Amino acid sequence: MPKFWRGVVYSALLLAALYYLLPLYVMVITSVKTMDQIRAGNLLSFPTSISFDAWSKAWSSACTGVECGGLKPFFWNSVRMVIPAVLISTSLGALNGYILSKWRFPHSELTFALILFGVFIPFQVVLLPMAQTLGWFGIARSVTGLVFVHCVFGLASTTLFFRNYYVGIPDELIKAARLDGAGFWRIFFRIVLPMSTPIVMVVLIWQFTQIWNDFLFGVVFSSGDSQPITVGLNNLANTSTTVKEYNVDMSAALIAALPTILVYVFAGKYFVRGLTAGAVKG
Amino acid sequence: MGALAIKNVTKSFGDTHILKGIDIEIDSGQFLILVGPSGCGKSTLMNIIAGLEAPTTGEVHIGDRMVNNIAPKDRDIAMVFQSYALYPTMNVRQNIAFGMETRGVPKKEQEEIIARVAKMLQMDHLLDRKPSQLSGGQRQRVAMGRALARDPILFLFDEPLSNLDAKLRVEMRTEIKQLHHRLKTTIVYVTHDQIEAMTLGDKIAVMKDGVIQQFGSPQEIYEQPANLFVASFIGSPSMNFIPCHLAEQAGQIGVSLQSEGEARFVPLPNAAKLAGQVGKKVILGLRPEQFDAVENSENSLACKVHLTEPTGPDTMVLTQLNGIEICARLHPRDAKGPGETVRLKPDMTKAVVFDAETETRLA
Repeated sequence: MPKFWRGVVYSALLLAALYYLLPLYVMVITSVKTMDQIRAGNLLSFPTSISFDAWSKAWSSACTGVECGGLKPFFWNSVRMVIPAVLISTSLGALNGYILSKWRFPHSELTFALILFGVFIPFQVVLLPMAQTLGWFGIARSVTGLVFVHCVFGLASTTLFFRNYYVGIPDELIKAARLDGAGFWRIFFRIVLPMSTPIVMVVLIWQFTQIWNDFLFGVVFSSGDSQPITVGLNNLANTSTTVKEYNVDMSAALIAALPTILVYVFAGKYFVRGLTAGAVKG
Repeated sequence: MGALAIKNVTKSFGDTHILKGIDIEIDSGQFLILVGPSGCGKSTLMNIIAGLEAPTTGEVHIGDRMVNNIAPKDRDIAMVFQSYALYPTMNVRQNIAFGMETRGVPKKEQEEIIARVAKMLQMDHLLDRKPSQLSGGQRQRVAMGRALARDPILFLFDEPLSNLDAKLRVEMRTEIKQLHHRLKTTIVYVTHDQIEAMTLGDKIAVMKDGVIQQFGSPQEIYEQPANLFVASFIGSPSMNFIPCHLAEQAGQIGVSLQSEGEARFVPLPNAAKLAGQVGKKVILGLRPEQFDAVENSENSLACKVHLTEPTGPDTMVLTQLNGIEICARLHPRDAKGPGETVRLKPDMTKAVVFDAETETRLA
């Protein structure tokens, strides 16, 4: 490629990167400015001094409605929700995928198609029946209820991910293990699961992001002390005091986004690798 | 009772009949080959013997047990797969140990067995490697080691050499045969390669469309094929099939061969079996090596050479008889070049005759 065109390509890429990074830049610098600096400068100007007051306010003392405890309780609600929900939905997805690809039963393909249906159902449709179900189970408006909801709706996509990955594992491996005397669980834990690291990483990241960032289920199925961080952020930004504290809002938004960003930073390479790792080489 | 007996086994999926009544019985220590083109049901039969699939009807006996209702792991068998099926996350040692672990073999005994197997297959230096760090031949070796560690009464080999390159395939073939001589364990070996079938087997079952076409020793199958399919499937280059009519001349039953406008009556052996069928349309089967190049003899025919394929020890000469392309395996010194004429004399003592309609062998 001639040098000129290479230059054009890189310029375009650089421009696109800048364009996408700009909001993050604005958020980060605004969050470390004081309100005076925000009023004095413009949106893009660099802070004259760096202050983390807004961060600590957003974390522990900003008002979210009548309560003024910051995002902290919401953050821990999210943690208590996301960890079990991710682990349970990933485990069940792995098991489903293993059964649907390696222990076919009559109409297992139909079963898979029906599960797949869950990927395409708009969540708004199921809000009312789900609210009723949670009521029957006695877990309405609780973190447990949210975990349940996320497990149920995560199952479709986790099953899809695992099933498609396991289809690529040769059936002969399962046959060999059966002849070696291994049963359903031993084959799963000793042969199949150790081969699954890439897809496990993909599903963990996927589920973590989905569940952490969910707002709809959080706002509908929780209340008071069970609300997740997305709801907390919404309440914080919507609670009007005399002045709009942009630095606190930005800090709060960054706090809410931080876990997913960190997951991508530390596990992102597995994500890309897992998505591209199709067939398992024998 | 033999080491393996398959009694009237069938396998159907709805209206699709994969196996249509298979009967095979072999003695302990024999090397049985299941050979046939892809889709003939040989792998299904293998899976049924292993217990990985259930037969629709019929019985499988291994040793003196009827094993239809016995799980694969309890059948006292070991299997080597085409793709080797090594557990990718385990090293060679763990691969071999896995089966013993599930069967609860004590650790110390496991180590002894691994050491013995590794020595037998000369793979001591590979024990700590992962399958991905092994070459195709080494993986094959490990797969065999895993089977050997089981010390079963029956080995099952499912096309174990298909994924190897030509040279390695021949080496491993020899090695498998040597191993069989040493261990004297009964082996069932599935292949689509007729050379593997001929070189390895004590008994060969030639299959097609879920039916055993012929079951016999390699030599029987080569010299007395039961029908046209077996004759064409076994042997390379394939047997020549020359359509002709049975005729009688001077009290002898034979056929007429024509080449270059010259016709010659050649009497057939086993004429007794053909008595009373004069005039019938038949197919004469002659293997390429059943032609001799001669200078001039009363039973030879002048044939124009179309093409020659030298293989080193022999030269394949392509020519025509009765308007059909045929191949003759000649000594290089006798082979002429394309366009030249060679006089071929068929060796009728080993000729076979098939019914042109039913394709079964008449004589």
